Amino acid sequence: MKTWQISVKLNNVRKTFGTKTALDISSCDIHPGEIIGLVGNNGAGKTTLFRIILDLLKVDKNGSVFINDYNTAKCEDWKDITGAYIDNGFLIDYLTPDEFFSFIGKINDIDNEEMNKQLKILENFLGNEILGQNKLLRNLSAGNQQKVGIAAAMLHTPGLLILDEPFNFLDPSSQVTMKRLLADYNKETGATILFSSHNISHTLDICSRVILLEQGKIIKDLACTPDNNRQVMSEIEDYFEYHA
Amino acid sequence: MNKINLFRIIRRNQKIAEKRHPLFERNKAVKIITNVIAIFWAIYLCILGVLLAYGLKETNREAYDWVNGLFILFLITDFFLRFIVQDTPAQEIKPYKLLPIPIKFLINTFLIRMGIRRYNMFWLFFFVPFGILTVYMRPYLSFYNFAGYIIGIWLMFVFNSYWYLLWRTLMHHHSVYILIPCCIYAVLIFCGIIHDDFLINVSISFIDGFIYLNPICFIAVIGAIIAFFFINIPLQHKLIYQEIAKTERIKNLQPINLPILNHFGKTGEYLKLEIKSTIRNRIVRKQFIRGCVCMLLLCSIFSFTDVYDSGVMKTFICVYCFACLGVIIQTNIMCVEGNYMDGLMSRKESILSLLKAKYIFNCIMLIVPILFIITPLIKGKVTIMQILGCIFFTTGIIYPFIFQLAVYNNNSIHLNHKLTKNGVNTKAQMLVSMIALFIPMGIMYLLINIFDKDKAGAIMCSIGVIGTVISPLWLKNIYKRLMNRRYENMANFRKTK
Repeated sequence: MKTWQISVKLNNVRKTFGTKTALDISSCDIHPGEIIGLVGNNGAGKTTLFRIILDLLKVDKNGSVFINDYNTAKCEDWKDITGAYIDNGFLIDYLTPDEFFSFIGKINDIDNEEMNKQLKILENFLGNEILGQNKLLRNLSAGNQQKVGIAAAMLHTPGLLILDEPFNFLDPSSQVTMKRLLADYNKETGATILFSSHNISHTLDICSRVILLEQGKIIKDLACTPDNNRQVMSEIEDYFEYHA
Repeated sequence: MNKINLFRIIRRNQKIAEKRHPLFERNKAVKIITNVIAIFWAIYLCILGVLLAYGLKETNREAYDWVNGLFILFLITDFFLRFIVQDTPAQEIKPYKLLPIPIKFLINTFLIRMGIRRYNMFWLFFFVPFGILTVYMRPYLSFYNFAGYIIGIWLMFVFNSYWYLLWRTLMHHHSVYILIPCCIYAVLIFCGIIHDDFLINVSISFIDGFIYLNPICFIAVIGAIIAFFFINIPLQHKLIYQEIAKTERIKNLQPINLPILNHFGKTGEYLKLEIKSTIRNRIVRKQFIRGCVCMLLLCSIFSFTDVYDSGVMKTFICVYCFACLGVIIQTNIMCVEGNYMDGLMSRKESILSLLKAKYIFNCIMLIVPILFIITPLIKGKVTIMQILGCIFFTTGIIYPFIFQLAVYNNNSIHLNHKLTKNGVNTKAQMLVSMIALFIPMGIMYLLINIFDKDKAGAIMCSIGVIGTVISPLWLKNIYKRLMNRRYENMANFRKTK
C-alpha cells in the first residue's frame, strides 16, 4: 500500500451567490493523514466547500485551494490523487455497478488484478446487492447508489478522499461498516479524508479533527482524541442546542 | 377548499411550471424564438386560409366544402403534431398524488385542462379567416352560421386531443400502439378518399351540419368528446401509478463488453460509454435512430432516385448523406454528459478523451453511407473523388464546426424519460448549429461553382484531410475553451438536471 502525504490549503476561499455569502474562509490548513469531519446545519456551506476544493465551483477573486503544491483551479494533476463522491452527479447511471467500476478502474490505469483486490477490500461495505446483479445504477436504491459512488471514489486508493454526507441513505449496519472502512483506509494508506455529516456521533468516532461550519464561516475547529471525545461532543451539541 | 378554487390553483401551478421551467427562465432567446415560430405559423395559417378561400371561389362547389371534405387531413396532421406539443397528464399529476385531493378529481381537472388548452384553438388561425370569407360573407349565411362553423371545428380538435391522449397513453405500455391510429388513418384515406369518396361526402355533410347549426352534429361531437374523456380516465389512473412506481423494464440486460476497444486506452473506454449511452438511454437512442433514419432516407434518395441529380444539389445531398447523422446527434453534444459532469470533471482530462471518442464514433458511423453510396458509384452517378471529398469534408470541416457546441452546450438532457421542453436549445447552440450547417454549405457552393465537379471534390478532399489529420489539435482547442467555461457550464448542467 502507498503511504500518502497529502495536505490541503485554503486561502481566502469565498463564494457568493448574488448577495448571499455561501462560504467565507480566510485560511484553513488540512494536514496529511488527518480525518476531518465537517459539521453544520443545512446551508452552512459544506457542499460548497467540497465543490470548491474539487474545482467544481469557482472560488471568488483572490481565493485559492492547494492540494499539496497543486492549485486546483490552475492544473489537473491533483485529480490523479483525489477521490470524491458528492452526489449522484458522480455516477454514470446507465452502467451496471460492475461496468462502472471497470470504467473507473481503466481511466485510472488500474489493472484488473489491482481492481479485484480493491473490490475485495470493499466487498463487505458493498454487500450482496451490488456486484454481479446486472442492474443499471439508476435502478439501484439510493443507499446502494451511495455505496457505489463511495467505492468508486476509493477504487484508485486516492491520497485525498472527499465525501459529502457518506452516511446518508445507508442502513445502520452499512454506516458502521462505512466508519470502519474510512478509519482503516486512513490507517493503512495515510490518506487525508474530508467528509461532512449530520451525525455527530459517527463523526467523532473516526475524526482527528472536527470543523463546525455555519453560514459559510468556520465557527469551531476542534482536535479530537480518544481522551477529549466527550468534551468535543458536548461542545458541539451545546452549540447546536443553543442555535436550535 | 371547494373544487373550483382547487381547479384554479392547479391551473395556476401549471402556468407557473411552464413559465419557470429552468430552460426558459434563463434563456430569453428560446422564449423569443418560440414565440416568433408560433407567430410565424399563425400568420402562415391565416394567409393560407385567405388564399384557399379565394382560390376555391370559382369552383363548382362551395369553397368550404373542399376544405370540409378533406378535414380528416387536418385531424391527422394535428394528431401527429401533438407528439411535439402534448404529453400525458400523469407526470404533472404525480406531485399532487400525496395531497388530500381525490385522485379522480385530479385526473378530471387535468383532462379538462387538456380539452380547453390554447393549442386546440391554434388551427382557428386558418379556419377563422377562411370561415369569414367563405361562410360569413355568403349572402344567405349569417354570423351565427360562421360561429357554429368555428365552434364545431374547435370541438373537432378538442376531440382529437382526447383521441391522441388515448393512443399516447397506450404507447407508454408499448410503442406498437402507434400502429393502430396509423392503420386507421391509412384505411380511411385509401378507402374513403383515394378509392372512393364516401369519407369526403360524410365529412362535408357533417361539418355542413355545424354551419347550418344542426344540433345532431354538435351533440355527436360533444358525445364523442365525453366518451373519450371517460375512456381516458381509467387509463390515466393506471398510468399515474406506473409513473409513481416507475421502474425500468429490463429484460435480460445484456452486458456490453466490446473487448476490441480495450486496446484504445481511455479513448476506448469513452467509446464504450458512447455506445452504451446510445443503446441504454431512451432519449439518446431516439435521437440516434432519428439521425439514422434521416441518413438512410437521404442515402436512399441519392442512391436510388434521380431527384437530386443536378450538379450542385448532387454534391450537397452527397455531403449531407455523410454529415446528417453527426449533425443531428452532436447538436446536443455534452448534454448527455451534463448528468454526470461533476464525476467527469473530477478526473484528469476525461473530457478530452470523451471528445476524441465522440469524434471517432461519428467517423466510424460514416461506414453506413459509404455502403449506400456504392450503388451510385457503380452507376457512374458520382466519382470516387467526389465521394472522398464528401467524406473528408464531413470529418475535417463539418465535424470541427459542430463539435464547437461542446464549449457552449450546458443543458443536461434527461436520459431516459421524456420531458416536453427537454430538447430546447440555447442561443449559442442554435447559432453554432446554424453556422455548422451553412458555412460548410457556403464553402461547397463556392467550390462547386468555381471548379468542375472533380476539381471541387479534390479541393474538398484536401481541405477535409487537413481538418481530419489535425483533429487532435482542434479537439484539444475545444477542450481548453470548454475548461475555461467549465464553472458556468457545470452550474447550468446542475440546474437543468
